[in-house]
Amino acid sequence: MNVALDARRLKAAEEFRAAGVPHRRMEAWKYSDLRPLIDAEQVASAPAAQWSIEAEGVELFDPAAGEGAFAGIMGEASLAFATATLGLRVKAAGRVRIAFATPGQARLRIVLDDGARLDYVESAPGGGLQNIGTEIVLGRGARMTHARLAQRAGGARIGDVSVTVAEGGCYRLHCADFGSDLSRLELDIKLRGIGAQAHLSGTSVLAQGLHADVTTHVDHAAGDTCSTQLFKLVAADKARAVYQGRITVRQGADGSDSRQTAKGLLLAERAEIDLKPELEIFADEVKCAHGAAVGDLDADSLFYLRSRGIADDEARALLIRAFLAEPLDEVEDEAMRAALWAAIEDALPGAMGQP
Amino acid sequence: MLEIKDLHAAVDGKEILKGLSLTVNAGEVHAIMGPNGSGKSTLSYVLAGRAGYKITSGSIRYRGEDLAALAPEERAAKGIFLAMQYPVEIPGVTTLTFLKTALNAQRRARGESELDAMGVLKRVRARASELKVSEEMLKRALNVGFSGGEKKRLEILQMALFEPRLAILDETDSGLDIDALKLVAEGVNALRAPERAMLVITHYQRLLQYIVPDRVHVLSAGRIVREGGPELAHELEAKGYEDIVRSAA
Ligand SMILES: Nc1ncnc2c1ncn2[C@@H]1O[C@H](COP(=O)(O)OP(=O)(O)OP(=O)(O)O)[C@@H](O)[C@H]1O
Ligand SMILES: [Mg+2]
Repeated sequence: MNVALDARRLKAAEEFRAAGVPHRRMEAWKYSDLRPLIDAEQVASAPAAQWSIEAEGVELFDPAAGEGAFAGIMGEASLAFATATLGLRVKAAGRVRIAFATPGQARLRIVLDDGARLDYVESAPGGGLQNIGTEIVLGRGARMTHARLAQRAGGARIGDVSVTVAEGGCYRLHCADFGSDLSRLELDIKLRGIGAQAHLSGTSVLAQGLHADVTTHVDHAAGDTCSTQLFKLVAADKARAVYQGRITVRQGADGSDSRQTAKGLLLAERAEIDLKPELEIFADEVKCAHGAAVGDLDADSLFYLRSRGIADDEARALLIRAFLAEPLDEVEDEAMRAALWAAIEDALPGAMGQP
Repeated sequence: MLEIKDLHAAVDGKEILKGLSLTVNAGEVHAIMGPNGSGKSTLSYVLAGRAGYKITSGSIRYRGEDLAALAPEERAAKGIFLAMQYPVEIPGVTTLTFLKTALNAQRRARGESELDAMGVLKRVRARASELKVSEEMLKRALNVGFSGGEKKRLEILQMALFEPRLAILDETDSGLDIDALKLVAEGVNALRAPERAMLVITHYQRLLQYIVPDRVHVLSAGRIVREGGPELAHELEAKGYEDIVRSAA
């Protein structure tokens, strides 16, 4: 028994009970209302999530020995209540494929030693309440690529990821979300050491009344840190896609460079896309570029393609693919990129209003 | 081939074509000239079936069929091609992928077999080298960052690739240097055939020295106000539109 951790868990439980299930009157959950879907008791008593895992170059440990960090309220809930826990430690080079099989709650801790590398692929099929809290700690010069595929599902699916990156370390994320009744990936990334980097890219492709929310907070806490973000969201029917991205550049984090782009493509009048970039800068010498825009399919482009004999549906699909291409181009692993494209191909007919 | 009778057409509720009649037979090349804003591009969009361009009265028959009933992609499959005055830039779609998709979509619609990547590449390469369209351009996103002249050459490359029955060229000569103009004219002339017709919209007599038209029409305020042989283009070059437009009014 670790007394410190127990105290931490109790505190997390208390804090969660005080805050309650996140709802839309909380600023951070403005576009993602969990209350109609679950109550606090369901969170506290959620079953242990199960998973299947393939791992190489990784040491498993019981994460009970660490202090837990989280990005948001539901991450805190996973810290307080999850009975399923998993620790992964990489000393040199590791490869992990993890697929969560059932709804439920879990708490993961991933530690990369100095100079270690990890290629981590996660699939979160959702269903019921799925709340997976992951804490990632990257040592000096450590590099991790995190791919997360959130298949089209029902219920509430939450991924809460807290990352700290030490000097010269690099965290890369590629995520794809095809929606659920409520689906949220919340990330808190601390660039703690000089020259630490985070590169995030993702897509959401949503049909019907599905929802997906990517909420990020990147904290430049040291000098010469660099972050890039590129998210593309497609919403059809009555779907709702959300991106909220806050970037903080702390005092003294000079020479930091942050870039953030979020674009939305609305395919139906009743669909909704909410983009909320935020920038807080307390350092003097920094480079920041950010842009967010929502549009619909370009009529001129559509006519051009159709006038060349490409049928309306095919032309729309071509333009949607073109819209999504940029974040996928960031995926270096060819097999991963192909898998993400395949998932998008599956989702396209639905997004275009075909059964 | 093409029979337009007393065509009235509106864009966003505003009438632009006001009683236009024009007949083009197979094997012929017709030139359309006319002042800025007279409705030349509007006519080309109406023929290609662009959304928002509404035929309010009159008719267009293409090879005996009522054109108004067909979607733009159906018109393309049936052999209508429009080289646009302002080709559209489409980021994220490479030129070669686009050409393959379009060519196979047309073939499929006509019940022909689709071509594989190699088959398409062979055809594209043959035309590309004639029109001096580089391999590098074909790999880039469609029209993105292409110069004005490069965009126009790509339009003609498409025309050569799709082998349409009725080609409409909307100011394809604008923005071309003299060498490119000759290349484009050669491309057009190579396609002249008894079973094909062309509608060449231009402001300049120079193009018509290379592509000699059977008929020249002058469009003004949405109507054809004058017709003649190739010599009419020379007359216009010398005198401008003012006299013709005034005498028609
Ligand atoms: N969407 C629109 N709404 C209203 N008026 C329009 C619209 N599109 C075009 N027009 C008008 O229709 C008229 C004809 O335009 P069109 O582009 O057909 O001319 P054009 O003969 O091709 O001219 P140019 O030689 O400059 O290319 C112009 O007066 C133009 O302003
Ligand atoms: Mg015009």
